[in-house]
Amino acid sequence: MINLTDLSFSYPGSTSPVLHEVNLHIPPGTLTLVTGASGSGKSTFLRCLNGLVPHFTGGQISGSITVGEVDPITSGPETMATRVGFVFQEPEAQFVFDVVEDEIAFSLENAGLARDEIDSRISSICKFLHLNSIRTKPIHQISGGEKQRVAVASALVNHPQVLVLDEPTSQLDPHSANELLRYVVSLKEKLGLTVLLAEHRLERLLPFTDLMIHLQSDGQCLIGPPEEILQELDLVPPIITVARRLHIKPLPLSIETFPRIVIPETMVPTLEKKDWKPQTSDGGLDVQNFSVTLEKSLVIDHISFKLNPGEIIALLGPNGVGKTTLLRAMMGLIPFEGNLVLKGQPIKENTLSMMIQAVGYLPQNPNDLLFAETVLDELEVTLQNHGLEKSHTELVQFLTHFGLPNHQDDYPRDLSVGERQRTALASITVHDPDFILLDEPTRGLDYENKARLVQLFQKWRDQNKGILVVTHDVEFAALLADRVIILEQGKVRFSGNPQEAFHHFPGYRTQTAQIFPDSPWITPEDLPFR
Amino acid sequence: MTVTTAWVLWLLSGMVFILSTRNPLYLLITILMFYWLGLKFEKERKGGQWIKLNLRFMLTIVGLSGLINMLFAHTGKTVLFDLPNGWPLIGGAVTLESIVYGAINGLVIGALYLLFNIFNKALSVKQITRLIPRAFHPIATMVTISLTFFPSIQQRIREIREAQLIRGNPMKKVADWLPILIPLLVSSLEDAFLLSESMTSRGFHTHSIRKYSSLYLVLLIISAFAVFAGWIFGLYDYPKLLSIGLYILAALVVIIIFVVSGRGNPSKSYKQEAWHLGDKIASMSFSLALMTTLALLFMDNGPTFSYSPYPVIAFPQLHWTGIVLSLIPGIPLLIQKND
Repeated sequence: MINLTDLSFSYPGSTSPVLHEVNLHIPPGTLTLVTGASGSGKSTFLRCLNGLVPHFTGGQISGSITVGEVDPITSGPETMATRVGFVFQEPEAQFVFDVVEDEIAFSLENAGLARDEIDSRISSICKFLHLNSIRTKPIHQISGGEKQRVAVASALVNHPQVLVLDEPTSQLDPHSANELLRYVVSLKEKLGLTVLLAEHRLERLLPFTDLMIHLQSDGQCLIGPPEEILQELDLVPPIITVARRLHIKPLPLSIETFPRIVIPETMVPTLEKKDWKPQTSDGGLDVQNFSVTLEKSLVIDHISFKLNPGEIIALLGPNGVGKTTLLRAMMGLIPFEGNLVLKGQPIKENTLSMMIQAVGYLPQNPNDLLFAETVLDELEVTLQNHGLEKSHTELVQFLTHFGLPNHQDDYPRDLSVGERQRTALASITVHDPDFILLDEPTRGLDYENKARLVQLFQKWRDQNKGILVVTHDVEFAALLADRVIILEQGKVRFSGNPQEAFHHFPGYRTQTAQIFPDSPWITPEDLPFR
Repeated sequence: MTVTTAWVLWLLSGMVFILSTRNPLYLLITILMFYWLGLKFEKERKGGQWIKLNLRFMLTIVGLSGLINMLFAHTGKTVLFDLPNGWPLIGGAVTLESIVYGAINGLVIGALYLLFNIFNKALSVKQITRLIPRAFHPIATMVTISLTFFPSIQQRIREIREAQLIRGNPMKKVADWLPILIPLLVSSLEDAFLLSESMTSRGFHTHSIRKYSSLYLVLLIISAFAVFAGWIFGLYDYPKLLSIGLYILAALVVIIIFVVSGRGNPSKSYKQEAWHLGDKIASMSFSLALMTTLALLFMDNGPTFSYSPYPVIAFPQLHWTGIVLSLIPGIPLLIQKND
């Protein structure tokens, strides 16, 4: 179906190739998982398949590609539009129209198909992807998962032979992500599509993967069955780490295929049950009977919890449940009802300055924070805003905690996704706040960058900072959290220790908890055997 | 009433009537119809808020217009007070008539604003851009994107502003807005790049009309020359028919270019709007209203919609034709009720 022969590509002005003499063959009707560290060229590789690279990007390309019988390099993206459906990472940014069916019809209208044909194609794809109930809805009124399904429908309505998805689940909660992947797998099985999917969180996809491509930093790639490729990688999903420790071969790709392990009674439980620290009298950030109403609808409904110094709370919940709204209200950016008490001091809606002195807040999109010429300038801007000063040496020293000392003079927006995220984190914590609120800090990050964040957050906890992290990434939350809060329909559905949350709540169970349901273990790090 | 053509006729008849009258009573009736319609459209969400917001706008524009006219126009017999004659431009008598005249102009501007506001509410972005000829398909798509871009840019501004606020930026001086502008500009460019990638990968503008573009250019130059020549002939003692003939020739050439290039572009809208009885009746009513307004404007002895408070303010005259025409914009209310 897809053949690449000695394919090399470099972006304009770049001396090092992103892809270097790549050779591979992808058979029709398979699901191929494309992996690699941030910046390894996954998006570039995928864009070669429909001719966006090099027609849209420019740059030097050599070697050959064929998709079916067509060469995207000579044909260009216009011709490939009917052969390769492409779904981009951020659905909002790729939508042209504001209504679901108008968006799906876009490519068919461009092709000038007859009205009946367009209508019939839209009806059948809406039926297949269960979009009929939202077919005439404005796009801004539908959920994140539905938006991704609309993006898939828009790509498939042209009846392509190949469907390419570039990190489609990075913004979705576990339930929506699994649902989308189920649809993608059924598309492959029922329509015989060849699917290529780039993703960082491998644990979700491995059970459905026929072939795995791992792009390396030198521009070359590994290709083969996932069981073989995973043997070569250092950072892998928890299920693979556990299997390696138990010397299980071939590597199991799903919980269902993981062999049943009988653990000696002496070994369980060897982990002390993690529990949150006793609540201190007035040192924390106390949220009491807290409600937020947006456009006449109650988004946060009388919730209470306390973030203590030296504690990490993971706040989980489905898309649209109000997690970001809660953080915005806590920062005084939107009105709230109830009490917010910071180190014993009640905070009113108009006392934003008190909050920003004591609390650092990382929004979902780190790019919203970055505007200065250099990484170091970003830190200085925050210090100036707070009327503080630090010497150049102190700032460079501070950047070493974030793994950025060599980037102090770099333009922040030229950095990789992970480096940009850490620059944003440095810029919101340089004034040494006591509490840090983080909104989806692992979005779009690979395993290596997530591991760096884990280390950083643990260091902050050791410095007695209180951290509230909103995330969809349960494996990441399990590595860090002292306490877990699950929000559903604006209310706290669960607040308690991580073992209970990650063992007993469907949709939030970690892979380790699923492999060892009778143990308190929730991450491979908890296992007593190495 | 859902058909685009019916709403376009509603817009045209309303606009021509508003521009042709200065009678404050007719204007007030029309404005009342607009508020009623606006309330209907916003009922499910925040009708009260919409009314309040637009009432505030209307009062501001009427007040401002009255004030400006009061300061600069010193005609009228009902003198309220005098400003020193030595004051440049604004010195002189301040009259009640000048205030009323300015306020009536404010009513016209406010009515036109409401007219377009409701038109915007009644039709989706796609319906509006569907009105653009097929020859301009890429332009229509660009217009659509621009119109849907505004709500998203507002949200981005809010997000970036909040991110900067909680970083300690006081947002008080003009310079404090730089941290908003740069991320906004960069992210907008990134989004634009991604959108164009998405559109290209979905076959946008696949069927290029470039092969005819030189011919179209030549024809457009010829039509521009015809218009220019017609205008020049009109300045001198040449027969008027010559100028009119050249204008018609230019118009025909442009129409032919539209039609031919439109056929060369296969893109089409898949939605065919269903005409209900209400849409047909409403469209006929708006067409009739439009023709009546235009006919009355050119009639020498017909009823007039004009009103002037000068030289002495008097109660505006009413005629049943004017009352009916000012009620016409409310027709969608009746049709929606029946729906």
